[in-house]
Amino acid sequence: MAMFDKHKASKESSPAAPEPREAPPPQSASAAPAGSPDKVAMIGRGISISGDVTADSNLRIEGVIEGRSVQSSHDVEIAESGRVVAGITAKVVMISGEVTGDISGSEKVMIARSGRVQGNVVAPRVQLEDGALFRGSIDMNPAAEAKPAASKPSALDPGGKSKAESPQVSETAMGGPRKDSGLSLKSG
Amino acid sequence: MSETALKLETAPGPLRSGPVVAQLPSKLFAAMIKQADAERRLTVLEIGTALAETVDFFSRFHCRLHFCDLYSESFVHAQADLSQDELRQGFEAQFRFPSGTSFDLCLFWDFLSYLDDPALRAFNSALRPWLHRGTQAHGFGVHHLAISLENIQYGVKDEETLTVRKRQTAQMRAHPHSQIEMHDMLDCFKFERGLLMPDGKLEMLLKSTLANSRP
Repeated sequence: MAMFDKHKASKESSPAAPEPREAPPPQSASAAPAGSPDKVAMIGRGISISGDVTADSNLRIEGVIEGRSVQSSHDVEIAESGRVVAGITAKVVMISGEVTGDISGSEKVMIARSGRVQGNVVAPRVQLEDGALFRGSIDMNPAAEAKPAASKPSALDPGGKSKAESPQVSETAMGGPRKDSGLSLKSG
Repeated sequence: MSETALKLETAPGPLRSGPVVAQLPSKLFAAMIKQADAERRLTVLEIGTALAETVDFFSRFHCRLHFCDLYSESFVHAQADLSQDELRQGFEAQFRFPSGTSFDLCLFWDFLSYLDDPALRAFNSALRPWLHRGTQAHGFGVHHLAISLENIQYGVKDEETLTVRKRQTAQMRAHPHSQIEMHDMLDCFKFERGLLMPDGKLEMLLKSTLANSRP
């Protein structure tokens, strides 16, 4: 069972932990790609998760995740307030917050100017914005970029086209299968 | 998480890179890149901060970039108080690369001129296991020992142009070495080419003296 608490201090005494929720429709390009109808699961600001996170949808992290892995078959965005201490595997990974762990993007990894990363990055394309802090190694393979990496467009890639997806059934931290945006949590 | 991620105990410092203040033509960086086999996966070591333009430049290659910002390491700042053995251990702790790593290109920039004699020997010793006979390196030395080094960092704009930014951390004490001293203390490299620069610096293209082939 994942520990899934809003405030670390009240972790023990809070039986009704907040659930991951779907983000509201994108307000701007920084929150999610404009005009994208894609489902986005969100770990909101103030939420702290100890454990692994798996998402079948795009994932936006504004809170804190500490575990071994954060995985998505789509895109992962770590917002400025977000902090991840875990490996991240996704199609596109965009980091405006803080990450300690290895990052693998099958299409692209982008570290924004407010981003702080320490770990190893593997992706066909890696972009560092001016001002980004990075410590570790970057493994790039431009040849792989030419290959058709994915049939579905990327939500976080500004060049990608969006496509709506059906919600998926997955196991959640609360134990039961539920119809949501495709987020599952596993205790670390 | 890999060992590399775990061994990094401290998060990157709060100081971000300043703006580009100058561009520097570089014939020897271009020469090094031209000699590199672009068809092969390149493994690159940069002694410095990861800058946007450098990552962008190397993104055209099939390569692995390792950024090792030794300028911010406390043991480097305290080099005068440490023995050569302690300094070697300090560098070795920073050079715990994945097994099988062997660098094709090393980017030293001004770093060698910030190491005193024991530190330069320790750096040489710690780096040696990660080199092969085809390793090339680029860096700057000095032509005049009286030169004062600017507190700057470099990036790569294109094959023939480097970018220059003011380093946001405190200026380290410089220890400029003559070419003969450098050759003596950094003996895993030999001078391939040198180019005098107008500001008294010496742009250097170095080549490995080691006999081991690339793994």
